[in-house]
Amino acid sequence: MAWLSERRKRSRFETVVMPHLDAAYALARWLSRNDADAADIVQEACLRAFRYFDTYRDGDAKSWLLKIVRRTCYSWLERNRPTEIVPLETWEGEIGQESVTAGDTETLLQNRSDLRRLDRLIEALPAPLREVIVLRELLELDYRAIADVANLPIGTVMSRLHRARSVLRQGWDDKDVGQ
Amino acid sequence: MKCEEARLLLDPYTDDELPATERTALHDHIESCAECGPEAEALERLRADIRQSVPMYRAPESLRSQIRSDLRRAAGGASAMARAPGWLAYAASILLAVAVGSGGTFLLTGQRQENAIGDELIDSHLRSLLADHLTDVASSDKHTVKPWFAGRTEVSPPGVDLAAQGFPLVGGRLDLIQGRPVPALVYRAGKHIINVFVLPGRPNELSEAVTRRGYTLRHWSGGDLGYWAVSDASADEFSKFEQAFRKATGG
Repeated sequence: MAWLSERRKRSRFETVVMPHLDAAYALARWLSRNDADAADIVQEACLRAFRYFDTYRDGDAKSWLLKIVRRTCYSWLERNRPTEIVPLETWEGEIGQESVTAGDTETLLQNRSDLRRLDRLIEALPAPLREVIVLRELLELDYRAIADVANLPIGTVMSRLHRARSVLRQGWDDKDVGQ
Repeated sequence: MKCEEARLLLDPYTDDELPATERTALHDHIESCAECGPEAEALERLRADIRQSVPMYRAPESLRSQIRSDLRRAAGGASAMARAPGWLAYAASILLAVAVGSGGTFLLTGQRQENAIGDELIDSHLRSLLADHLTDVASSDKHTVKPWFAGRTEVSPPGVDLAAQGFPLVGGRLDLIQGRPVPALVYRAGKHIINVFVLPGRPNELSEAVTRRGYTLRHWSGGDLGYWAVSDASADEFSKFEQAFRKATGG
Protein backbone atom coordinates (compact mmCIF):
# COMPACT_ATOMS: atom_id res chain seq x y z
CA MET A 1 0.00 0.00 0.00
CA ALA A 2 2.90 2.29 0.77
CA TRP A 3 4.11 1.53 -2.71
CA LEU A 4 0.77 2.59 -4.16
CA SER A 5 0.84 5.91 -2.34
CA GLU A 6 4.39 6.45 -3.59
CA ARG A 7 3.02 6.06 -7.10
CA ARG A 8 0.31 8.55 -6.38
CA LYS A 9 2.89 10.93 -4.95
CA ARG A 10 4.95 10.60 -8.12
CA SER A 11 2.01 11.31 -10.37
CA ARG A 12 1.08 14.38 -8.31
CA PHE A 13 4.69 15.55 -8.38
CA GLU A 14 4.61 15.16 -12.15
CA THR A 15 1.53 17.38 -12.41
CA VAL A 16 2.41 19.99 -9.82
CA VAL A 17 6.19 20.34 -9.90
CA MET A 18 7.50 19.13 -13.25
CA PRO A 19 5.89 21.99 -15.25
CA HIS A 20 8.40 24.29 -13.53
CA LEU A 21 11.44 22.36 -14.64
CA ASP A 22 12.43 25.02 -17.20
CA ALA A 23 12.37 27.70 -14.52
CA ALA A 24 14.38 25.43 -12.21
CA TYR A 25 16.95 24.84 -14.92
CA ALA A 26 17.16 28.53 -15.81
CA LEU A 27 17.86 29.50 -12.20
CA ALA A 28 20.49 26.76 -11.81
CA ARG A 29 22.04 27.73 -15.15
CA TRP A 30 22.32 31.39 -14.17
CA LEU A 31 23.74 30.60 -10.75
CA SER A 32 26.21 27.94 -11.91
CA ARG A 33 26.92 29.59 -15.29
CA ASN A 34 27.40 26.16 -16.84
CA ASP A 35 25.04 23.78 -18.67
CA ALA A 36 26.32 20.46 -17.32
CA ASP A 37 26.49 21.72 -13.74
CA ALA A 38 23.00 23.18 -14.01
CA ALA A 39 21.68 19.78 -15.11
CA ASP A 40 23.38 18.04 -12.17
CA ILE A 41 22.03 20.61 -9.75
CA VAL A 42 18.47 20.39 -11.06
CA GLN A 43 18.58 16.61 -10.97
CA GLU A 44 19.72 16.66 -7.36
CA ALA A 45 17.18 19.37 -6.47
CA CYS A 46 14.29 17.45 -8.03
CA LEU A 47 15.11 14.35 -6.04
CA ARG A 48 15.24 16.45 -2.91
CA ALA A 49 11.96 18.10 -3.85
CA PHE A 50 10.41 14.70 -4.38
CA ARG A 51 11.62 13.51 -1.02
CA TYR A 52 10.24 16.62 0.68
CA PHE A 53 7.10 16.64 -1.43
CA ASP A 54 5.04 15.62 1.60
CA THR A 55 5.86 19.01 3.11
CA TYR A 56 4.55 20.88 0.07
CA ARG A 57 1.16 22.42 0.76
CA ASP A 58 -1.00 23.80 -1.97
CA GLY A 59 0.46 27.07 -3.03
CA ASP A 60 3.04 28.43 -5.39
CA ALA A 61 4.77 25.28 -6.66
CA LYS A 62 7.15 27.32 -8.80
CA SER A 63 8.52 29.23 -5.80
CA TRP A 64 8.60 26.06 -3.76
CA LEU A 65 10.74 24.29 -6.36
CA LEU A 66 12.94 27.33 -7.03
CA LYS A 67 13.65 27.62 -3.33
CA ILE A 68 14.97 24.05 -3.26
CA VAL A 69 16.91 24.58 -6.50
CA ARG A 70 18.52 27.70 -5.10
CA ARG A 71 19.56 25.97 -1.89
CA THR A 72 20.89 22.98 -3.83
CA CYS A 73 22.79 25.37 -6.08
CA TYR A 74 24.59 27.07 -3.25
CA SER A 75 25.48 23.87 -1.46
CA TRP A 76 26.68 22.46 -4.80
CA LEU A 77 28.82 25.55 -5.38
CA GLU A 78 30.19 25.32 -1.86
CA ARG A 79 31.22 21.74 -2.51
CA ASN A 80 32.59 22.20 -5.99
CA ARG A 81 33.60 25.83 -6.42
CA PRO A 82 34.04 27.26 -2.94
CA THR A 83 36.04 30.23 -4.19
CA GLU A 84 33.02 31.46 -6.13
CA ILE A 85 30.97 32.06 -3.02
CA VAL A 86 31.66 35.71 -2.39
CA PRO A 87 29.54 37.55 0.16
CA LEU A 88 27.96 40.67 -1.27
CA GLU A 89 29.81 42.83 1.26
CA THR A 90 33.16 41.52 0.01
CA TRP A 91 32.21 42.21 -3.56
CA GLU A 92 31.03 45.69 -2.68
CA GLY A 93 34.28 46.19 -0.77
CA GLU A 94 36.37 45.15 -3.74
CA ILE A 95 34.79 47.51 -6.16
CA GLY A 96 34.40 50.34 -3.67
CA GLN A 97 31.42 51.54 -1.70
CA GLU A 98 30.75 54.50 -3.96
CA SER A 99 28.67 54.00 -7.05
CA VAL A 100 30.06 51.51 -9.52
CA THR A 101 31.42 52.98 -12.70
CA ALA A 102 31.52 51.31 -16.07
CA GLY A 103 35.24 50.97 -15.55
CA ASP A 104 34.70 48.78 -12.50
CA THR A 105 32.39 46.54 -14.41
CA GLU A 106 34.95 46.41 -17.18
CA THR A 107 37.61 45.26 -14.76
CA LEU A 108 35.31 42.57 -13.48
CA LEU A 109 34.69 41.27 -16.94
CA GLN A 110 38.22 41.75 -18.22
CA ASN A 111 36.91 41.73 -21.70
CA ARG A 112 35.58 44.87 -23.25
CA SER A 113 33.56 43.10 -25.93
CA ASP A 114 31.63 41.22 -23.25
CA LEU A 115 30.18 44.51 -22.12
CA ARG A 116 28.15 44.58 -25.27
CA ARG A 117 26.22 41.58 -24.11
CA LEU A 118 23.61 41.95 -21.45
CA ASP A 119 23.73 38.26 -20.57
CA ARG A 120 27.45 38.55 -19.86
CA LEU A 121 26.81 41.57 -17.69
CA ILE A 122 24.27 39.57 -15.71
CA GLU A 123 26.69 36.66 -15.41
CA ALA A 124 29.32 39.02 -14.05
CA LEU A 125 27.05 40.15 -11.22
CA PRO A 126 27.77 38.64 -7.81
CA ALA A 127 25.32 35.83 -7.06
CA PRO A 128 23.18 37.77 -4.53
CA LEU A 129 22.48 40.43 -7.17
CA ARG A 130 22.34 37.99 -10.08
CA GLU A 131 19.68 35.84 -8.45
CA VAL A 132 17.27 38.70 -7.80
CA ILE A 133 17.60 39.90 -11.40
CA VAL A 134 17.04 36.41 -12.78
CA LEU A 135 14.09 35.75 -10.50
CA ARG A 136 12.48 39.08 -11.34
CA GLU A 137 13.24 39.70 -15.01
CA LEU A 138 13.59 36.22 -16.44
CA LEU A 139 11.43 34.08 -14.18
CA GLU A 140 8.94 36.90 -13.59
CA LEU A 141 8.46 36.45 -9.86
CA ASP A 142 7.00 39.28 -7.80
CA TYR A 143 8.79 40.68 -4.77
CA ARG A 144 6.98 38.47 -2.32
CA ALA A 145 7.90 35.32 -4.23
CA ILE A 146 11.53 36.44 -4.64
CA ALA A 147 11.71 37.13 -0.91
CA ASP A 148 10.39 33.64 -0.29
CA VAL A 149 12.72 31.88 -2.75
CA ALA A 150 15.86 33.79 -1.72
CA ASN A 151 14.90 33.88 1.96
CA LEU A 152 15.23 37.66 2.18
CA PRO A 153 13.12 40.49 3.59
CA ILE A 154 11.16 42.28 0.84
CA GLY A 155 13.12 45.46 1.53
CA THR A 156 16.35 43.66 0.75
CA VAL A 157 14.88 42.24 -2.45
CA MET A 158 14.04 45.79 -3.47
CA SER A 159 17.43 47.24 -2.64
CA ARG A 160 19.30 44.39 -4.32
CA LEU A 161 17.22 44.74 -7.45
CA HIS A 162 17.98 48.45 -7.45
CA ARG A 163 21.67 47.76 -6.99
CA ALA A 164 21.76 45.06 -9.67
CA ARG A 165 20.00 47.27 -12.18
CA SER A 166 22.32 50.18 -11.46
CA VAL A 167 25.34 48.02 -12.18
CA LEU A 168 23.77 46.58 -15.32
CA ARG A 169 22.76 50.00 -16.56
CA GLN A 170 26.21 51.41 -16.06
CA GLY A 171 27.66 48.59 -18.14
CA TRP A 172 24.90 48.60 -20.69
CA ASP A 173 24.42 52.33 -21.26
CA ASP A 174 28.17 52.76 -21.73
CA LYS A 175 28.58 49.80 -24.04
CA ASP A 176 29.41 51.95 -27.04
CA VAL A 177 31.78 54.20 -25.17
CA GLY A 178 35.46 53.72 -25.85
CA GLN A 179 35.03 51.57 -28.93
CA MET B 1 7.82 64.29 -4.12
CA LYS B 2 11.54 64.84 -3.96
CA CYS B 3 13.89 63.34 -6.56
CA GLU B 4 15.82 61.49 -3.91
CA GLU B 5 12.71 59.69 -2.75
CA ALA B 6 11.51 59.15 -6.29
CA ARG B 7 14.73 57.40 -7.32
CA LEU B 8 14.29 54.84 -4.59
CA LEU B 9 10.77 54.11 -5.72
CA LEU B 10 11.51 53.73 -9.42
CA ASP B 11 12.26 50.02 -9.10
CA PRO B 12 9.08 49.02 -7.28
CA TYR B 13 7.24 51.40 -9.63
CA THR B 14 8.43 49.66 -12.76
CA ASP B 15 7.87 46.28 -11.07
CA ASP B 16 4.30 47.26 -10.29
CA GLU B 17 4.84 46.77 -6.58
CA LEU B 18 3.83 50.23 -5.32
CA PRO B 19 0.61 50.94 -3.47
CA ALA B 20 -1.82 53.04 -5.52
CA THR B 21 -1.29 56.32 -3.69
CA GLU B 22 2.50 56.23 -3.98
CA ARG B 23 2.18 55.09 -7.51
CA THR B 24 0.13 58.11 -8.49
CA ALA B 25 2.46 60.48 -6.68
CA LEU B 26 5.52 59.00 -8.36
CA HIS B 27 3.84 59.00 -11.74
CA ASP B 28 3.13 62.72 -11.39
CA HIS B 29 6.71 63.36 -10.39
CA ILE B 30 8.17 61.40 -13.32
CA GLU B 31 5.95 63.30 -15.75
CA SER B 32 7.18 66.64 -14.51
CA CYS B 33 10.81 66.03 -13.53
CA ALA B 34 13.53 66.53 -16.17
CA GLU B 35 15.87 64.12 -14.42
CA CYS B 36 13.65 61.43 -12.99
CA GLY B 37 11.70 61.11 -16.25
CA PRO B 38 14.70 59.97 -18.34
CA GLU B 39 15.83 57.87 -15.39
CA ALA B 40 12.56 55.96 -15.40
CA GLU B 41 12.77 55.55 -19.17
CA ALA B 42 16.31 54.19 -18.96
CA LEU B 43 15.16 51.66 -16.40
CA GLU B 44 12.31 50.54 -18.63
CA ARG B 45 14.71 50.30 -21.55
CA LEU B 46 17.08 48.08 -19.59
CA ARG B 47 14.23 45.78 -18.61
CA ALA B 48 12.99 45.57 -22.20
CA ASP B 49 16.53 44.84 -23.40
CA ILE B 50 16.92 42.04 -20.87
CA ARG B 51 13.66 40.47 -21.99
CA GLN B 52 14.64 40.73 -25.65
CA SER B 53 18.30 39.85 -25.66
CA VAL B 54 18.93 37.54 -22.75
CA PRO B 55 18.46 33.84 -23.44
CA MET B 56 15.80 31.94 -21.57
CA TYR B 57 17.45 28.67 -20.67
CA ARG B 58 15.28 25.58 -20.89
CA ALA B 59 15.76 22.19 -19.33
CA PRO B 60 17.20 19.79 -21.92
CA GLU B 61 15.00 16.81 -22.79
CA SER B 62 17.68 14.43 -21.56
CA LEU B 63 17.49 16.01 -18.10
CA ARG B 64 13.72 15.79 -18.09
CA SER B 65 13.72 12.07 -18.85
CA GLN B 66 16.58 11.49 -16.43
CA ILE B 67 14.58 13.05 -13.63
CA ARG B 68 11.49 11.04 -14.56
CA SER B 69 13.47 7.83 -14.30
CA ASP B 70 15.00 8.97 -11.00
CA LEU B 71 11.52 9.62 -9.67
CA ARG B 72 10.28 6.21 -10.72
CA ARG B 73 13.14 4.66 -8.84
CA ALA B 74 12.78 6.93 -5.83
CA ALA B 75 9.05 6.19 -5.65
CA GLY B 76 9.82 2.48 -5.67
CA GLY B 77 12.39 2.57 -2.92
CA ALA B 78 11.47 5.63 -0.91
CA SER B 79 10.26 3.87 2.23
CA ALA B 80 13.38 1.75 2.44
CA MET B 81 15.50 4.78 1.57
CA ALA B 82 14.15 6.63 4.58
CA ARG B 83 15.45 3.87 6.81
CA ALA B 84 18.97 3.91 5.41
CA PRO B 85 21.36 5.15 8.09
CA GLY B 86 23.04 8.47 7.55
CA TRP B 87 26.56 7.14 7.71
CA LEU B 88 26.03 5.48 4.35
CA ALA B 89 26.05 8.90 2.78
CA TYR B 90 29.52 9.49 4.14
CA ALA B 91 30.68 6.05 3.22
CA ALA B 92 29.62 6.77 -0.33
CA SER B 93 32.47 9.13 -1.02
CA ILE B 94 34.27 6.49 -2.98
CA LEU B 95 32.53 3.67 -4.69
CA LEU B 96 32.99 0.44 -6.51
CA ALA B 97 30.36 -1.16 -8.60
CA VAL B 98 29.91 -4.67 -9.84
CA ALA B 99 27.16 -5.77 -12.11
CA VAL B 100 26.02 -9.25 -12.93
CA GLY B 101 24.36 -10.14 -16.20
CA SER B 102 22.69 -13.24 -17.66
CA GLY B 103 19.73 -14.52 -19.68
CA GLY B 104 18.29 -13.32 -22.94
CA THR B 105 17.07 -9.88 -21.97
CA PHE B 106 20.39 -8.11 -21.99
CA LEU B 107 22.11 -9.51 -25.03
CA LEU B 108 25.42 -7.81 -24.93
CA THR B 109 26.49 -8.77 -28.38
CA GLY B 110 28.46 -5.76 -29.44
CA GLN B 111 30.86 -3.18 -28.16
CA ARG B 112 28.29 -0.46 -28.52
CA GLN B 113 25.66 -1.99 -26.24
CA GLU B 114 28.39 -2.76 -23.80
CA ASN B 115 29.50 0.85 -23.71
CA ALA B 116 25.94 1.99 -23.34
CA ILE B 117 25.29 -0.25 -20.38
CA GLY B 118 28.66 0.61 -18.87
CA ASP B 119 27.81 4.29 -19.06
CA GLU B 120 24.42 3.61 -17.57
CA LEU B 121 25.95 1.72 -14.68
CA ILE B 122 28.39 4.51 -13.96
CA ASP B 123 25.59 7.06 -14.23
CA SER B 124 23.50 4.98 -11.90
CA HIS B 125 26.20 5.07 -9.30
CA LEU B 126 26.80 8.76 -9.58
CA ARG B 127 23.06 9.19 -9.28
CA SER B 128 22.82 6.99 -6.22
CA LEU B 129 25.39 9.24 -4.59
CA LEU B 130 23.76 12.44 -5.75
CA ALA B 131 20.39 11.31 -4.55
CA ASP B 132 21.86 10.20 -1.26
CA HIS B 133 20.33 6.87 -2.07
CA LEU B 134 22.89 4.18 -1.59
CA THR B 135 20.66 1.43 -0.31
CA ASP B 136 16.97 0.58 -0.28
CA VAL B 137 17.55 -2.15 2.25
CA ALA B 138 20.39 -1.63 4.67
CA SER B 139 21.62 -4.83 6.19
CA SER B 140 24.83 -6.74 6.57
CA ASP B 141 22.85 -9.97 6.64
CA LYS B 142 22.71 -11.73 3.28
CA HIS B 143 19.56 -13.52 4.47
CA THR B 144 17.88 -10.13 4.72
CA VAL B 145 19.22 -8.60 1.54
CA LYS B 146 18.64 -11.48 -0.86
CA PRO B 147 14.93 -12.02 -0.06
CA TRP B 148 14.31 -8.28 -0.23
CA PHE B 149 14.82 -8.43 -3.98
CA ALA B 150 12.33 -11.31 -4.42
CA GLY B 151 9.48 -10.19 -6.65
CA ARG B 152 11.10 -6.84 -7.28
CA THR B 153 13.53 -7.90 -9.99
CA GLU B 154 13.77 -10.37 -12.83
CA VAL B 155 16.85 -12.02 -11.40
CA SER B 156 17.69 -13.10 -7.93
CA PRO B 157 21.10 -11.72 -7.03
CA PRO B 158 23.50 -14.04 -5.25
CA GLY B 159 23.48 -13.35 -1.53
CA VAL B 160 27.10 -13.27 -0.52
CA ASP B 161 28.80 -11.54 2.34
CA LEU B 162 32.49 -11.03 1.78
CA ALA B 163 33.23 -9.63 5.25
CA ALA B 164 35.82 -12.32 5.88
CA GLN B 165 37.65 -11.25 2.74
CA GLY B 166 37.49 -7.59 3.79
CA PHE B 167 34.40 -6.59 1.81
CA PRO B 168 31.40 -6.53 4.18
CA LEU B 169 27.89 -6.36 2.73
CA VAL B 170 26.21 -3.00 3.35
CA GLY B 171 22.82 -3.57 1.77
CA GLY B 172 20.88 -3.67 -1.47
CA ARG B 173 19.37 -1.19 -3.85
CA LEU B 174 17.05 -1.23 -6.83
CA ASP B 175 18.26 0.66 -9.89
CA LEU B 176 16.75 1.30 -13.25
CA ILE B 177 19.06 0.06 -16.00
CA GLN B 178 17.85 0.07 -19.59
CA GLY B 179 14.37 0.68 -18.30
CA ARG B 180 14.31 -2.38 -16.04
CA PRO B 181 14.58 -2.74 -12.29
CA VAL B 182 17.99 -4.17 -11.56
CA PRO B 183 19.26 -5.23 -8.14
CA ALA B 184 22.46 -3.71 -6.85
CA LEU B 185 24.34 -5.21 -3.93
CA VAL B 186 26.33 -2.74 -1.90
CA TYR B 187 29.64 -3.67 -0.31
CA ARG B 188 32.31 -1.85 1.57
CA ALA B 189 36.01 -2.07 0.80
CA GLY B 190 37.80 -0.29 3.60
CA LYS B 191 36.54 3.28 3.35
CA HIS B 192 35.23 2.58 -0.15
CA ILE B 193 31.73 1.56 -1.11
CA ILE B 194 31.09 -1.28 -3.53
CA ASN B 195 27.89 -1.67 -5.53
CA VAL B 196 26.98 -4.91 -7.29
CA PHE B 197 24.42 -4.81 -10.09
CA VAL B 198 22.65 -7.99 -11.14
CA LEU B 199 21.32 -8.03 -14.68
CA PRO B 200 19.58 -10.90 -16.38
CA GLY B 201 21.50 -11.71 -19.54
CA ARG B 202 23.48 -14.21 -21.54
CA PRO B 203 26.87 -15.06 -20.09
CA ASN B 204 29.50 -12.95 -21.66
CA GLU B 205 33.15 -13.74 -21.20
CA LEU B 206 34.83 -10.39 -20.96
CA SER B 207 37.28 -9.67 -18.23
CA GLU B 208 39.08 -6.65 -19.47
CA ALA B 209 39.10 -3.58 -17.29
CA VAL B 210 38.23 -0.31 -18.99
CA THR B 211 38.42 3.11 -17.40
CA ARG B 212 35.84 5.73 -18.13
CA ARG B 213 35.23 9.07 -16.45
CA GLY B 214 37.49 8.09 -13.57
CA TYR B 215 35.73 4.80 -12.86
CA THR B 216 37.04 1.41 -13.81
CA LEU B 217 34.56 -0.95 -15.38
CA ARG B 218 35.09 -4.71 -15.33
CA HIS B 219 32.97 -7.48 -16.65
CA TRP B 220 33.16 -11.23 -16.13
CA SER B 221 30.80 -14.15 -15.94
CA GLY B 222 30.13 -16.91 -13.46
CA GLY B 223 27.64 -19.74 -13.65
CA ASP B 224 24.93 -18.47 -15.97
CA LEU B 225 25.47 -14.92 -14.83
CA GLY B 226 27.65 -12.21 -16.29
CA TYR B 227 29.26 -9.79 -13.86
CA TRP B 228 29.96 -6.09 -14.30
CA ALA B 229 32.15 -4.02 -12.04
CA VAL B 230 32.70 -0.27 -11.79
CA SER B 231 35.22 1.18 -9.39
CA ASP B 232 37.40 4.12 -8.55
CA ALA B 233 39.26 2.10 -5.96
CA SER B 234 42.80 0.90 -6.65
CA ALA B 235 43.29 -1.72 -9.37
CA ASP B 236 44.70 -4.08 -6.76
CA GLU B 237 41.76 -3.79 -4.41
CA PHE B 238 39.36 -4.04 -7.30
CA SER B 239 40.95 -7.21 -8.52
CA LYS B 240 40.86 -8.74 -5.02
CA PHE B 241 37.18 -7.96 -4.78
CA GLU B 242 36.47 -9.57 -8.12
CA GLN B 243 38.34 -12.70 -7.10
CA ALA B 244 36.54 -12.88 -3.75
CA PHE B 245 33.17 -12.33 -5.40
CA ARG B 246 33.85 -14.94 -8.12
CA LYS B 247 34.98 -17.46 -5.57
CA ALA B 248 31.97 -16.92 -3.31
CA THR B 249 29.52 -17.19 -6.21
CA GLY B 250 31.21 -20.26 -7.61
CA GLY B 251 32.44 -18.37 -10.65
